[in-house]
Amino acid sequence: MYLHPNKKIRKNSEPIIFIHGTGMDHTVWTLPVRHFSRKKRDVMAIDLPGHGNNKDKPLDSINEISKYIYNFLDKNSITKCSIVGHSMGSLIALEMASSQPKRINAISMIGTAFPMQVNEALLESAKENPEIAINILTFMGYSYSSRLGGNKTPGMWMTESTKRLMQKSKKGIIYKDLKACSEFSDGLEKARDVRCKVQLILGSNDFLTPRIKAQDLIENFKEPLVEEIEGSGHSLMMEEPNKVLDFLIKLHSKL
Amino acid sequence: MKKPKDLNLETLSLHAGNKPDSDFGSRATPIYQTSSFVFPDSETAAGIFNNERAGHTYSRITNPTNAVLEERISSLEGGVGSISTASGQAALFLAISTILGQNSHIVASKSLYGGSHNLLEYTLPRFGIKTSFVDFRKPKNVKAAIQKNTGMLFGETLGNPGLDVMNIEVISNIAHKNKIPLLVDSTFTTPYLMKPFDHGADIVFHSATKFLSGHGVVIGGLLVDSGKFDWSENKLFKTLNEAYKGFHNMKFVDEFGPAAFINRARKEGSRDFGSCMSPHTAFLILQGLETLSLRMEKHVSNTREIVNFLSEHKEVKSVSYPELKDHPDHELAKKILPHGCGAVFTFEIKGGLESGRKFIESLNIFSHLANVGDAKSLVIHPASTTHHRMDKQSLKKAGITEDTVRLSVGIEDIHDLKEDLDEALKQVNR
Repeated sequence: MYLHPNKKIRKNSEPIIFIHGTGMDHTVWTLPVRHFSRKKRDVMAIDLPGHGNNKDKPLDSINEISKYIYNFLDKNSITKCSIVGHSMGSLIALEMASSQPKRINAISMIGTAFPMQVNEALLESAKENPEIAINILTFMGYSYSSRLGGNKTPGMWMTESTKRLMQKSKKGIIYKDLKACSEFSDGLEKARDVRCKVQLILGSNDFLTPRIKAQDLIENFKEPLVEEIEGSGHSLMMEEPNKVLDFLIKLHSKL
Repeated sequence: MKKPKDLNLETLSLHAGNKPDSDFGSRATPIYQTSSFVFPDSETAAGIFNNERAGHTYSRITNPTNAVLEERISSLEGGVGSISTASGQAALFLAISTILGQNSHIVASKSLYGGSHNLLEYTLPRFGIKTSFVDFRKPKNVKAAIQKNTGMLFGETLGNPGLDVMNIEVISNIAHKNKIPLLVDSTFTTPYLMKPFDHGADIVFHSATKFLSGHGVVIGGLLVDSGKFDWSENKLFKTLNEAYKGFHNMKFVDEFGPAAFINRARKEGSRDFGSCMSPHTAFLILQGLETLSLRMEKHVSNTREIVNFLSEHKEVKSVSYPELKDHPDHELAKKILPHGCGAVFTFEIKGGLESGRKFIESLNIFSHLANVGDAKSLVIHPASTTHHRMDKQSLKKAGITEDTVRLSVGIEDIHDLKEDLDEALKQVNR
């Protein structure tokens, strides 16, 4: 397991764990990780198996990934934590919170939906020609407006940054991730099993996990906090980093 | 499944990075002529300083007008991010100093702009950075020049002034086999004629003074990071792989992944060296970029006509332009510069130095000055001006003689330009 920042984990701490989405790695969380670190919270942005610096064998399902993370937490005597997940990472958060509800303080699901069905043609592209899949995911991953830039982080071109991160992912990873999202089942039942605080951070112009596709989830959680960012697409941490951070602070700084 | 259609260069040149401003709806990018930015509260201030929030603090490091320009050039080049600098020279120094220091080495093309040559040959050795100049047309020589401490290959898309066309694919392959990046000066080509990242370059810089701004009214530079180079593969790049005490022990590769280089350049170089671009300059370059495609098309079509005109002129000894069959890089240019080889080229006038002087002084439309890439046509004698610090041997290596005259062809009426040149050439032997 690769953790960022690469510090020793304190036993019995209750960290916030950040989980990235398809083809990404821990670097998508640099800003919130820096914030919560400054506030002396235990934080870890992980690289999922086969992603970023994690050399472990990639896993096939959200369920397997969830078990893999719990296994890591057990080994490090971490009995409780909070989870922040983006896209595929949000499904992992849901799976973790429903499978061992007593261990989770809160989950934030960013850019989420259920079902997270992936178009067959996109899956095929991801398998046979990942470069096309990367282009589609990047194109669909931003709002119309953000495709022309206007990055809040000065001087950085958002779409190319996202492409580059996915291009650096290992062969077959994007296909595996998309398939895992697509095959994730019983999401609404799992939402009903969740006992912790739940926050959904959604973009009004999200083309990959459209706002409307989160509605069933919202209705099956018990009193979720629903935060909508007007104008943002699916890449919320890139498109609206400050608003995402403010929402995360709203929930997690009080825990 | 089809690849989605990205926006084209002509559209991005006008729109990338800019949204109508939220306060007054200004369609043009506003000039944020301010040194600093008010923080709404102490906590936000601490957050921006700690790089946990996006935002501006001080215009030496970032400014909203400059940020639009930086996004725009990143979009045109296909990079992850960019930094605007006070000049092209500042961009070159920022690129080098971000990754290299004491006991480092660069392998550079022998055909460089005089200012770049000065920096590498005379100034950087004082800071422990040495350079070997080699012929980039000879890949074996490039390979042979690489040492254990070599941290960069560097050349120009079109060498100045001889227009050697860099075979970026070949040179970048050599660089990458040695786990080092290729830095490219793309000033003469601009993204309209070529995108070096598509051919394997890792970092690009421009003197935006030239074609990007296009009107000879500003001095500015742009440094663009492709985000493609894997810095973690080579321990030589300590500035990106090791904890930086100057920013809370930040490890740039860990925190920014593909964007490690450009983030270090901003957090250290922009902060410490102070070679920032003024917001007004950024605005003027943005105005220039809006017409980049129109101007480049006209620059190139005028250049092609003048190259042909001079090639047949009886007072001209030779013309050097890659689209001519006798240019050593003709075949390569056809492959990687299909839209043209720019608007700067050299020719040799019969009669040597005195003829050159007479010719230049007889021109009326062409302005005699030390710049290129202006909408107005320009002329200069490199051996006595831009390259005058080079000795005869270095001049010869760079393809310059005392007979060499350099033209930068503008976008005036082509008949007027040809007549101006013809009249001046007639004066040479009078």
